[in-house]
Parts: sequence; C-alpha cells; structure tokens
Amino acid sequence: MPKFELLNYQMHRHLRMQPVAGATPHFVQIVTSEFSAAALASPVMLSKDPQTGDFFVGAVMSLKPGEAPLKSVDERGGLNPLSRQCSGFYISGEQIAIDRDNPRFSEVDGELLFDDAQQPNECLRQMQIALGKYHGGLEATRSFIDSMNKLKLIEPVDMSLSFDSGEKLTIKGLYTIGLDSLRDIDDAAALRLFRSGYLQLAYTIATSLPQVGILAHLRNRQLVSNPQR
Amino acid sequence: MRPIKKIVIVGGGTAGWLTAAIIAAKHRSRIPAGFSVTLVESPNVPTIGVGEGTWPTLRGTLARIGVSETEFFRECDAAFKQGARFAKWTTGTADDAYFHPLMLPQNFSQLNLVPHWLASNDEKSFCDSVCAQNQVCEQGLAPKTIATAEFDAVINYAYHLNAGKFAAFLQKHCCEKLDVKHVLADVRRVELADDGDIRCLHTEQAGVIDGDLFVDCTGFKALLIGEALGVPFRDCSDVLFCDTALAVQVPYDNEASPIPCQTISTAQSAGWIWDIGLQSRRGIGHVYSSRHISDENAQKELIAYLNMDSRNLSFRKIPIRSGYRETFWKRNCVAVGLAAGFLEPLEASAIVLIELSAKLIAEQMPACREVMDFLASRFNATTSYRWGRIIDFLKLHYVLTKRTDTPFWRDNLLPETIPQRLQDLLLLWRYQSPWFHDEFDRVEEVFPAASYQYVLYGMDFRTEVEPGSLAGTAKLAERSLRENAAMIDKLRTHLPRHRDLINKIVDRGMQVV
Repeated sequence: MPKFELLNYQMHRHLRMQPVAGATPHFVQIVTSEFSAAALASPVMLSKDPQTGDFFVGAVMSLKPGEAPLKSVDERGGLNPLSRQCSGFYISGEQIAIDRDNPRFSEVDGELLFDDAQQPNECLRQMQIALGKYHGGLEATRSFIDSMNKLKLIEPVDMSLSFDSGEKLTIKGLYTIGLDSLRDIDDAAALRLFRSGYLQLAYTIATSLPQVGILAHLRNRQLVSNPQR
Repeated sequence: MRPIKKIVIVGGGTAGWLTAAIIAAKHRSRIPAGFSVTLVESPNVPTIGVGEGTWPTLRGTLARIGVSETEFFRECDAAFKQGARFAKWTTGTADDAYFHPLMLPQNFSQLNLVPHWLASNDEKSFCDSVCAQNQVCEQGLAPKTIATAEFDAVINYAYHLNAGKFAAFLQKHCCEKLDVKHVLADVRRVELADDGDIRCLHTEQAGVIDGDLFVDCTGFKALLIGEALGVPFRDCSDVLFCDTALAVQVPYDNEASPIPCQTISTAQSAGWIWDIGLQSRRGIGHVYSSRHISDENAQKELIAYLNMDSRNLSFRKIPIRSGYRETFWKRNCVAVGLAAGFLEPLEASAIVLIELSAKLIAEQMPACREVMDFLASRFNATTSYRWGRIIDFLKLHYVLTKRTDTPFWRDNLLPETIPQRLQDLLLLWRYQSPWFHDEFDRVEEVFPAASYQYVLYGMDFRTEVEPGSLAGTAKLAERSLRENAAMIDKLRTHLPRHRDLINKIVDRGMQVV
C-alpha cells in the first residue's frame, strides 16, 4: 500500500529525491503530447487498467513482462515518459502529494527537495512542471480515448509471436486504433477528429503497430546471441 | 408467390420482446423493402416473469440484438450465473450437494476424464477434479473482471435477471433501435382464412391487424396456437410431477451482502426450492407436486428454508402444467415461450428455449408462404426433439436419487414414469460414459454431454471402467487434472468478488472491446 503524504517543508525538509528507481516496465503509460515521439521507436497501444477497466495509452518497451526494454533510451530517441518522471509524485487538489514509500525518496541520497529558505529546490521545481504537464496530458488523453471509444475505433490486437529459440509468445490485452473502422467514420466525425487533432493521434497509434515486428526481431536477435536471457 | 414480410407477434412478455428483438435484428436491413415486425400487447394482461435463470447463449443473443451489457446490468437487476448447485438431491443429507457448472471439463474435446476420475477413486468430486467453476463460486467470485470486454468471459457465464425488467428493457431497445412497431391492444378475435391460415387479428383498440406470419407469445393462454388453431397440449406430468410453484422475493441483509453466483436448488420432500440472487433481492420459490404435498405444508417447507421472519413476505402461488404443444408451428402461426409449453425451471430452460426458437424462426424465415409448411415441419421436428431432450435431462435429476424418504422420490423411480430413451441411456452409461463424440453432438442438442457428466457423477452414478483401457490417455488425463488445479489457483487470485464487480459495472460500465 502506498503511503501518501502532502508535500510540505515542515515534514519533508530533509527529504531527498533520486532519479526513478527500478527497471523500466514493459508497457509505460504516455500522454497525447508524447505519442509522436514514442511512436518513432515503440508501438503505441492501448491497454486497460485492471482495477477500473478504463483504457489508457502506453508505449510497448518489451514483449514480456519483467524483461528489460528492447531498445536503449538513446535508441528510443531519449523518450523519458512523464509517467516515469513523475513516479512517486501525485497531485491532490491544489497540492503535491508523494508516496513516501517510493524508493526514489530518501533522507540520505539524492537532491534535497527544499532549500534553506523553505522554497522548492530546482529538482522539485522541475517536478512541478512535469506534474503539470502530466496531469494536463492525462486529461487530454482521456478525452481522446473517449472520442475513440464513442466512434468504436478501439480494437483488440491479439498477437502470437514465434522466436527462433522455439519460444512462442502470446500477447493479449493490447488494443490499437482500427484503420478500417477509421476509414468508415462519417465526414462530420472525420472533420471533428481532424480539427481536434485526434485524427493525427489516431493515425500515430495505428501506424506504430508494425513496430511490434521490429521489437520481435530485436528480441529474437538477443535470444540467439544470449540464449540464457 | 406470397411473400412473408409482415411479422406479427402477439404478447409482450419476455418471449414476445425477445422474439421481436431476435427477428428484427436479423432482418433489419429488409425494412426499407417493406419487412416489418409488429408486437401486439394487451394493456390489461400482466406478464408472467418466466424464470430468472438463463443460459450462456443469452450473451450471444444480447450481443447480436445490439444491446449494451452494461445497460443490461443497470436496468435488469442482473447478476452473473456460473451454474447450479444441487443440494439434497442424492441422499437428502445436510452435506449432500453437487455443482453443475457452465464450463466444460478440462480438455474436453481431447479426452473424456470420467473413466480416469472413476478409476482414481479420488475423494474430490468429479466437478472439482475437472473444472474450476465450483471453487470460483464457493469463493463468491465473478466470472470476469472489469477489464474484460462486454459479453466476453474469463470463464463461461450466464445471468440471473428480473424477468419483468428484462421485458421492459427489450421493449425499449426493440422500439427505439430495431424499428419494431408496438401496438397496445386487446385481441378480441382471431380471423382464419379459408385455407386455415390466420388472416388477421381483430383488436379492441387498434382495429384489424393483418400479417403474413404470426408468433404466439400469449403465454399459457395460447390464444393463437391453442384457441384459434386448436393445437393440443401434450401433458408430461406423468414424467415430471411438479405442478405448482410458490414464489417469494426476499431482501438481502444489507447492500453489501454477497450475491451467490449460482442458482441454488435444494430438494424438499415433494419438490425443490430455487434460490436466485439478483442485485437487489433474492428470488426464491418452491416447485412441488400437489399430489404429494399440500399447499400448506409446501409453504411450511419454504418458510423453513427461508429461515427468517416471513410475516411480511408476499407469497405468490403459480399453477404450472408441464408439457408442450404437439405442433409448435402450424399454418402461418408459430408458438414461442409459455404458449409453446412449460417445464419446471430446474435447468433454466424457459428463456433458452425462447432464444433457440426465435433464432430458428429468424434464420429460417420463409421467403414466401409457399415454402412455409416445409420450414414449419423442420422447425417442429427440431423443437420437439429439443423439448424431449430437456424433459429427459430434467428427469435425470430425479431418477439418479437415492432418496426413498417420501412417496414423491419413490414415485419418481417408477419405470413407467421414465422415458424409454432415458432408460436406454442409463443402461448404456453403466458401461460407457457420455462424451463428446456420441449422442449429444447434434446441432439440435440442448444439453452437451458435459452436462450429463456433471449430473451423473455429481449424483454418484457409476460407470464400469476397464483399467487397461485408460493407458493410452493416462498422461493427458494426469496433465488435465493438474492444469485444472493450477487454473483454480489462478482464478482465485485473479477474479473479483461477484458483488464488487457488479457494483463497478453499474457505476463505471464495461468496455465494449
């Protein structure tokens, strides 16, 4: 269970933050402003929150949970998703909250969140900006997803991948925007999507699907060169 | 050629509206060319809610007619159903119970696990050895998660529903989305043509309504098929003795009370009690044979089952007559629902029979009057076969009993009350168990071989096994039993509580994909 605390100087004057700890997950949530950059190197797909059933958008980093990303940060064009950057930080009303149990927080290592004048340090100021972008982005993404849902453009993609090692991977629970369905929408809906910028976002998701093949190719190469993987 | 374009359905209960929806959804694209579905409903006749249990077929039916499963849950007080628990049917003792799930046994299409289970003498029940669903229900878990799309399942499921609300839900969908014409009128007279077809209906409020094909959904009254066309009713109370139901609705203790995810059927001295959990209440009823117990004693047994203060409860007595029409489709009239027949709701066969009949009518819709009689005879053959098999299957529950404590149970074992086909099968099953590649693979079949397995071996039926014959499939059987155990563990951690999921569906909705 996370341990949420509202961020304030009195409680957290000794608190320090480090870069996000732990391995990058195989599927990282992204927001609309990140779609284009993410789609250059990763499949951008939708998945469902297991607790609510709501769709969210993410970039596929690897093809199997628990495996490291198949591309390095450089190969991903330096993409560092806001959801990762903001890990451990939350917005609660007008204030910032933190999950005190997130391993990026410590009183020993990292940068202090507050200076002696009780003001946010540079690292916290950057985090405030990132959090603002992230939460604005979440809202925009939700609205985009609602639009796609109403037009019935979201469709499941069940993938079966075979590797030279003999391994077969079945990937379920991922969704994309259906190009055939997109072509079938009426003119008024198409114009609405175009004006709102959603048409481009929809195509970005749909056309990033072939990136799955590239990731599979990379994984196959890694399996062959390092069978212990 | 006399084209069939005007379909007139008489009666507005579950049967009428479900039939209207199935036909209208299938033929919607023909509406511009003059095809129409009209439902004539009396403003004065209350509908009987036939059963609140359904089959998994209803998922496909609802999806095909284009309703939202989320809206269905919100408007029909619906809950999930994963099977039926039969208590006190075999010996009548307190710990006597077995489960008839909706999932097939592990790897059912590849091997028959029955002989392997019998040979193992395992203390674990047949159902628990080969299928995860009983354990899922025992834990109070749902058959899917909030992230599972509408009508998709993690494990197979049907619904429990409020039949009155369901009819209203279907009516709204039919009228708003499927262009079904709704006429509120009492039918005063059915006018026949010289050739014996129904020409038109004379109504009190809406004048004359003519049609090419009439569907009789007027319930027990059977206004068209029975009264107008004189098709006799084939009584089967010599096989299935129950002729009365006493129904009651019971509130939950509180809003958070668990909702059982299975129908609970508990045998009594001269019948059995159904117990069905909806979102807001439990529907409970005693189905009994009035030849074997008085109404007063039947009510006493029901009250004892309820185990609560029953003074404020309202009991509704419903006379029932088991049997079906000798012909379901005569001339240009076809009967669906109670007008076609009725069987005690032991295996929730009422709504599935409506679905099957309506689907057959919709798919085989005669293009013209000239081909109707041929299609009608095919429909009659299929539907009669289905009713016969359901009667066999219901009777199976009674003939496997070891109870001899009352005349009701003893009478059920009299050979003259057991259909010959069932007697033949019972003899066969002493030497070979029912499975995939046999008797029950016909398209017309209603209950799959798996259902027979669950009931037979749930009720301690024994089939002889020659141990040497199992060697070829022993490894696969072992693996299947292992896979089932692993599946139970996985589902236990993965699936949400039944009421929690329903609350989420009502609050947030499910995704359509």
